Amino acid sequence: MKIQISKQKNENYTIIIGCGRLGANLANTLSDNGEDVLIIDKNKEAFRKLSPAFGGLTLNGDATDLDILLEAQINNATTVIAVTNNDNANILVAQIAREIFHIERVIARLYDPEREYVYHEFGIDTICPAILSVKEIDKILSRPDMLKDRLQEAES
Amino acid sequence: MKTKVLLVGGRSKAKSLAVSLINKGYQVTVINDTLEDCVKLSEIDRLTVIHGDGTRPFVLEDASAQDADIAIAMTAKDEDNLVICELCKKKFQVKKTVALLTDPKKTDFFYKMGIDSVVCAITAITGIIEQQAFVDKITTLIPIGEGRVNIAEVPIPGSSPAVGKKLWEINLPKEVIVGCILRGDMTMVPRGDTRILAGDMLVLISSDKQEMAAIQELTGR
Repeated sequence: MKIQISKQKNENYTIIIGCGRLGANLANTLSDNGEDVLIIDKNKEAFRKLSPAFGGLTLNGDATDLDILLEAQINNATTVIAVTNNDNANILVAQIAREIFHIERVIARLYDPEREYVYHEFGIDTICPAILSVKEIDKILSRPDMLKDRLQEAES
Repeated sequence: MKTKVLLVGGRSKAKSLAVSLINKGYQVTVINDTLEDCVKLSEIDRLTVIHGDGTRPFVLEDASAQDADIAIAMTAKDEDNLVICELCKKKFQVKKTVALLTDPKKTDFFYKMGIDSVVCAITAITGIIEQQAFVDKITTLIPIGEGRVNIAEVPIPGSSPAVGKKLWEINLPKEVIVGCILRGDMTMVPRGDTRILAGDMLVLISSDKQEMAAIQELTGR
């Protein structure tokens, strides 16, 4: 009898830069979904935020250094997500990923809404926590009963 | 109409550059994100000082970046310099942007992102140190074209094997020409049959780092 291991070959390879709360959570989620993930951080200690079940790779180094990106095999990456706590470093890495390595999907997290607006115009996919929060809060405020519904949901 | 220059970041570099530019008649504005540096900078006459983070669009707006002709980014961080130049170029339509760069590997990338001039501190400084340490015969060496071409001033000592020879008798590398000879108060553009005398000052133009071989040939050291 032949045992067939049906391991679906995953073609997505995501590189996450910055192992903060967002980076680590994102890495955990993608890893749980069975995707190939590599996470880079300057600080080794930062990798403690990853869950014990994290099945991806970690790389200790400065991602604004081209050698580190090459070590991470950025050439094979399908997605690069820059979520360090430094807006400008995120911009730099995102632009390197797009212009030098021609990565299909590049996302950068920018804290400063004004800078986010400018770089969005430059054609980088950006997300801004402040703007996202504003939208979400606005949504809740526009429907006062929604918050109550959610609380009830959580209780039951 | 004065040429307007915007300097972002840089501590002592910003100070000396600002003074030098003001003396040359430029209108200079500096942006610096440490208050201490700003206070020191504000002691300079005719200098506009803005305290703030130059990588943020509204700070650049406060500094009237839209009116600047040249923007120079010289913070210690490469990523900040990239963002400053990109914002100046694309949002404020500054004609010329100059970025200081620490990591030489990113030079091409910076040019690709539309920055007009990239100055790599490490490459420039190591080049100068190399010259100072090993070429004591040269009094001045001016690199042009990103250091691919050098203009060097070479004094000819009496002990030099080239003394008394005609230019065509000296075996100079192909990539080097003697552009000018300074002899006392005289300045002459030499031809092949010009004789080199002790005490001459030769001005060499060389490409491909051939000046060392030429200097050795001329001075015998």
